[in-house]
Amino acid sequence: MDKILRDKKAIFVFTAPAFLMFVVILVIPIFQMVYYSFCDYAALTPPEFIGLANYKKLLFKDATFRIALKNSIFFMIFSAVSQQIIGLVLAVLLTNIPKGRNVFKNIYYLPCVLSSAALGLLWAFMFNPKIGINQLLAKIGIKGPMWLMESKGFIVLPMWVIAFVALWQYVGQNMMLYMAQITGISRDIYEAAYIDGASKPKAFRYITMPLVKPMIVTSLSLNCIGSLKFFDLVYNMTQGGPNHRTEVLATELYAEGFNYFKYGYASAISVVLLILCLIVTLLVKKVIKVETYES
Amino acid sequence: MGDKGVTKTQRKKLSPVIIAIYVLLVVLAVIYIAPLLWMLSVSLKDNAEVMSAPFSLPKAMQFANYAEAWTLGKLGKALVNSVLVCGVTLIVSMFFGAMAAFAIGRMRWKLSEGMHTFFLIGMMVPVHCILIPLFVRFAKLGLTNSRFGLMLPYITFSLPMTIFLLTGFFRSMPGELFEAAAIDGCGIYRCFFKIALPLCRTGFFVSGLMTFVNNWNELLLAMVFISDPEKKTLPVTLTYFVGPYATNYVQMFAAIIIAIAPTVIVYCMFSNQIVEGLTTGAVKG
Repeated sequence: MDKILRDKKAIFVFTAPAFLMFVVILVIPIFQMVYYSFCDYAALTPPEFIGLANYKKLLFKDATFRIALKNSIFFMIFSAVSQQIIGLVLAVLLTNIPKGRNVFKNIYYLPCVLSSAALGLLWAFMFNPKIGINQLLAKIGIKGPMWLMESKGFIVLPMWVIAFVALWQYVGQNMMLYMAQITGISRDIYEAAYIDGASKPKAFRYITMPLVKPMIVTSLSLNCIGSLKFFDLVYNMTQGGPNHRTEVLATELYAEGFNYFKYGYASAISVVLLILCLIVTLLVKKVIKVETYES
Repeated sequence: MGDKGVTKTQRKKLSPVIIAIYVLLVVLAVIYIAPLLWMLSVSLKDNAEVMSAPFSLPKAMQFANYAEAWTLGKLGKALVNSVLVCGVTLIVSMFFGAMAAFAIGRMRWKLSEGMHTFFLIGMMVPVHCILIPLFVRFAKLGLTNSRFGLMLPYITFSLPMTIFLLTGFFRSMPGELFEAAAIDGCGIYRCFFKIALPLCRTGFFVSGLMTFVNNWNELLLAMVFISDPEKKTLPVTLTYFVGPYATNYVQMFAAIIIAIAPTVIVYCMFSNQIVEGLTTGAVKG
């Protein structure tokens, strides 16, 4: 048995296809992207090395990039906080009701599997200045704001709208992860606690919270990376407008790369994006220390 | 269940709280379902009615909207393209993923952990980071504007999740099974095809559904790689309705309904399995 499980040739045959695809489609392009980011590279001319010029321009001269960076970070923090908390609360509520758990769970998770391009169009229509929500508000005598066209403020109103739509769409994901973890906790632990006179909130604080902790790492890092690379909803709701005020890193990258064909410059943006993703993942792992429990 | 008595007394005591929770959950459920139903209702109105009474039920069902959206947005072509791209991606990534996961999760070699980490890191890399280099190279190779060219990155980006989930499934299989087979003279390839693969049906189901949903909804790569209208996938076709047809709301919504229908149907059929599978996968990791 041992011999056939150590068969070198078989191991090679099994891993080679996936490994090769990974190297060719993912690893090599990443290195190329880093190289392009140091180049002046417009689509038609070959790349020409210009050192840090792209980064200098990006960080010190490009106002749109600064807006995009600000929006992306705002979006990440907002999503992480709101989706984690509401996801956890929903998971706790759902695990505590006697009936109908599955129905609610399936309803809340539904938007996660739907195309955010399609849902973006739906919400863009809902937040249209004349139709949708504003028409409802007008009925009760409130003049609704220009949801997706307001351009004042540090974080503009359209960005908040998009963040709330994202919360609506993706909170189910976190809820599911937490529910999985909570239902995995043995009933006996709770029973023992209740026999000892613990109240429900106490049980939550001293049993559920610590045992759910490992999931926070997974859920939070997925959440943060997901919101940093966010594209679909923004593209279909505002296309970065009004006047680039709702640009995020991904839409900015797309615009620089494929509307203006500045490949070098767009590569520099993707390097920033990649670095942000790595920093966030490491931070999450560092900040939330996970002790392992016997389950 | 030995805790019936406990929960019963508690249920009686906590009933106002439970009722409050139910009210909250129902309100939330309405917030989730209402926009989708509303979209369905708008897609069956005519444009004038959308403006005058967007929230009422349609006066007469305008099924013609669907037919028009279908021809205007070339949805038939888009649907075929989406099915083709997602289908091939699904099969290939499942197969490659299962092979790699089997080698990592079941076979004994020094670098297996390293290989596992290598693939997992792929989950952290955003697609955006490879967009430009890949586009440049594919343009040289004539792989842009081709469905095959789009499948390659789709397969690659589906592999980490598949390998992650399937490795967990392979590891949880009892080792005696393979030992018995080996004693009976079963080679490693037959072990894989005849024992490991059939036993891993749940794993395939889960990772398959996730792969399907992710690729079906993918927008950015499809938008960049495909410009020929004959080869566009569904999410890209929808962006058409943002620009030139922007005032034609009814058709836009009809198109959206057509685009999300397959995922809604798959979800309704398998929601419990999706949910269950997701959780096993996530908890194991």
